[in-house]
Amino acid sequence: MILANYLTSAAVFCIGLYAVLTRRNMIKMVMGLSLMEASTYLFMLSLAYRAGSTAPVLLSPPPGESTRALAHGNVADPVLQNFCLTAVVIGVAVTAVFLSVVVRIAQHYRTLDSDKVREMRG
Amino acid sequence: MQPPDRQPPDRQPFAGQPPDRQRTDGRARQEATEHEPIHRPWLGTLIVAGMAAALAAAMAGIPREHAALPAIARYALEVALPKWGLTEPVNEVVYGTRGFDTFGETFLLLAAIISVVLITRPRESRRGYFGEETAAGREQSESDPAEPDDAREDAARSAEGQEQDERRPADQAGPRTPDQTPLGSAAPETAEAMTVVVRTAIRVALPILAVAGLYLVAWGYSPGGGFPGGAVIMGVILLVYAGFGHRRISRIARPGLLEAIEIAGAAAIILTELLGLVLKGSFSANWLPLAAPQTILSGGIAQLFSASELIEVGTGLTIAVFALLAMEHDWTPDEQDVSREDSEASENSGTAGDSENTDGSEGSAGPESGSGEAGDRPRGRSRR
Repeated sequence: MILANYLTSAAVFCIGLYAVLTRRNMIKMVMGLSLMEASTYLFMLSLAYRAGSTAPVLLSPPPGESTRALAHGNVADPVLQNFCLTAVVIGVAVTAVFLSVVVRIAQHYRTLDSDKVREMRG
Repeated sequence: MQPPDRQPPDRQPFAGQPPDRQRTDGRARQEATEHEPIHRPWLGTLIVAGMAAALAAAMAGIPREHAALPAIARYALEVALPKWGLTEPVNEVVYGTRGFDTFGETFLLLAAIISVVLITRPRESRRGYFGEETAAGREQSESDPAEPDDAREDAARSAEGQEQDERRPADQAGPRTPDQTPLGSAAPETAEAMTVVVRTAIRVALPILAVAGLYLVAWGYSPGGGFPGGAVIMGVILLVYAGFGHRRISRIARPGLLEAIEIAGAAAIILTELLGLVLKGSFSANWLPLAAPQTILSGGIAQLFSASELIEVGTGLTIAVFALLAMEHDWTPDEQDVSREDSEASENSGTAGDSENTDGSEGSAGPESGSGEAGDRPRGRSRR
């Protein structure tokens, strides 16, 4: 039942969204955003799964088969795994930018409460 | 990290400090402590419930584990071995068929690193990430650095330390390691390095980690190649920093060197991909001869791309982490305090003037209180 994985990733995404919407501590908002990112990793890896499949590695085929048959066989989706690799690196970089901005805001306004950082209000 | 005691007490961080350590005048600085209210919980719940419903409806309809592989995945699997000589389709997708995607991602990473470097930049340019502000602290605090301390200098320094309400004088950067210090002292918190247990464990784990990270890249049929390899290299540098202190990595982890290597890695990636356009007529096409599969050179430019990515990711993540760790504590002075000091000063001058004007009528009380104020003020000022 891969649907359970999908729904778990949706639940993790919603927890992150709730944190971003209702918290005003900027560190916790960054944590919520990271949680939303992490839910996409789970989602993409679950989407790549196929029932009874092998990892997408074209090595040591079963006796009597060639690696070419392996490429046509039942394997997990390599493209979605590539997306996950990409997303992890982007997630790390974006979190680093968020955190450095938060530290600068905290130093400038002497608060982590985004409601007190009022100069951005129109 | 750096001893925090170089900050003037006025610019203490807001968290974790006793509210009224420096001031005894009864007015606590307004603390930005966390009262953690949940803002508009019903609106948030409503939006999240809507999002959850939309996600659940969408996820009920997407392909499950029995669906056929998409055509693009099947293509990647078929093309990996004959066209790229790679037995690892994930690596082939990352550096081959979807090389343009990875190319864009690399420069998104570079843009993020540059943003972090810009945002965390100190006011003056620096040669290293750590330790510049304590580099000549001992010499600065001595009247004659060539002479050993005499009793008078020691007494003056300890008096200054007491006055600034510090745990130790500013010229001592803590013990090198906490190994020889007695139990219960502050050494583990103030030492640069960790105890011998941690350092020995790091000595054992470090070569294994470093070799594993490079192995991931060198044998191109491991998934991801340069991305996990670069993250492992950053972990190796961070372990040395945490276990042995910043002096041990100060020759490697300095902005001038790391940023140059980072840009060199990015340039190598651009060159690798552009040469495909020049030589083969298509961006990120393979222009190198294919070696046999499962050798160190298999995969053509995928291996070159992966190695350049190792340089780019390894140095980039290291730059980001050290830039964040070494951010200067340049807090904006509290406006409330500044305005209060000004108003107090004007009040003082006003009362002093009043006492002079009403000298005859009020008699002896005015000048006495005035002199008392004058005696108090400088002491209060020297504290902050």
